[in-house]
Amino acid sequence: MLEQKKFIVSHAPFLHNGSSIAKRNYNIILAALPAVVFGLFQYGMPAVGVVSLSVSTAIIWELLINRITKSKISIADGNAALIGLLLGMLLPPVSPWWLVITGTFIAIIVGKQIFGGIGGNPFHPTLVALAMLMLSWKDFLDFDEHLVNYDFDFIAVYPLGALKHFGVAAIESFHAGGLLIGKQTGGTGATFGLGLIAGGIYLMARRIIRWEISISFLGGVLICALVFNLADATRFAGPSFHLFTGYTLVGAFFLATEDSSSPVNFIPMLLYGATGGILTVLIRNVGAYIDGVVFAILIINILNPLLDKIRPEALGRVA
Amino acid sequence: MTAKKELRRVYGLAIVLLVVGALSYAAFPAKTPEQPPRIMLKNIAGKVLFDHKTHTSVQGYGLSCLDCHHTDDEDETDPELCGEGGCHEPKSEDEDMLNRRDAFHLQCIGCHQEFEVSPLEEQCELCHVM
Repeated sequence: MLEQKKFIVSHAPFLHNGSSIAKRNYNIILAALPAVVFGLFQYGMPAVGVVSLSVSTAIIWELLINRITKSKISIADGNAALIGLLLGMLLPPVSPWWLVITGTFIAIIVGKQIFGGIGGNPFHPTLVALAMLMLSWKDFLDFDEHLVNYDFDFIAVYPLGALKHFGVAAIESFHAGGLLIGKQTGGTGATFGLGLIAGGIYLMARRIIRWEISISFLGGVLICALVFNLADATRFAGPSFHLFTGYTLVGAFFLATEDSSSPVNFIPMLLYGATGGILTVLIRNVGAYIDGVVFAILIINILNPLLDKIRPEALGRVA
Repeated sequence: MTAKKELRRVYGLAIVLLVVGALSYAAFPAKTPEQPPRIMLKNIAGKVLFDHKTHTSVQGYGLSCLDCHHTDDEDETDPELCGEGGCHEPKSEDEDMLNRRDAFHLQCIGCHQEFEVSPLEEQCELCHVM
């Protein structure tokens, strides 16, 4: 038994597999592009303005804070661009410019740099910004109010808003197939379900995000929504509706999986994701907010360090 | 790619997207179409999302403009503003002119009752976001 080789470490030089933070971030941006491009075509130039301004100002805020704190210029790692892109994906496609710039300021400065930059943030920076915007300017995050001038070939009310305010009867015309191919209103990059799923599968296959978190998040949404639906189908929507509306898919693949704010061990990842999914549906069904994803993920971000205490037993023993 | 090249690329991305973003906001400001598909009526009782298109389109209720909008001059065909900035101001105390709340309630509830189409009177929650 003592002869058994468990872990071999050899001397330098080592071979680097070529991965880098920049590559990871640009791959995540690449995975988000199908959903973003769909949103840009759906909503036109106003959405182009929001997404472009969001990415560019996120980079500029990061550059400014680098200069102010006289730290290494970190914009080349693509993290600021990714945070900006995610915020642009979640905001209504006709958001005013000042809302976008304020959002990227909060995300980069308050959500990330205050905690020491990349890897130090306890919450997803984009969600910190979005939560603050939601609480400060509720009406500007109302999709129904801001998309009144868009005329689509599908029902153009925000599905989760219709459910919250008018009950299950108001969402009878939404079907999973239509929702998946983007026949719904919402954030620029949050409505095209197939694109988000394709991006998620790509990231999971490349092992850039952990499947344990995404799948358990979606599982949590599915099971919790199913329980509510089975308990009273006249009051609570079914699981497919919850899975394919609002920020669920973007949350499962792009938000809950952020490196710094999510656990790394197997059981903690499952608990983290499932808790996020369950909280999402709880907030939607019995909470005050229309969509629960933002606060659900911020809450599991808080749980992250605690969950990661559940860790495998260390090899060897103290004599 | 070297670190310098990567940095230059991100500078370029930021500048290009900033220009595209600024141009998109400046050159394509949000415009209200002549016939808005939907109108959000904001009020203290809870917003009402009015589906203008369903009321005017042939596939919907097929109403003509002057079935709901009306003007001072009977020969005038262009509808005037209804609420804020129009005749029925929200806080109007003019006894001869209905305020916005009464004008909209009379118009909406009256028509829905006449044609017996839901929402009817006292079904506030079917229009207002509570």
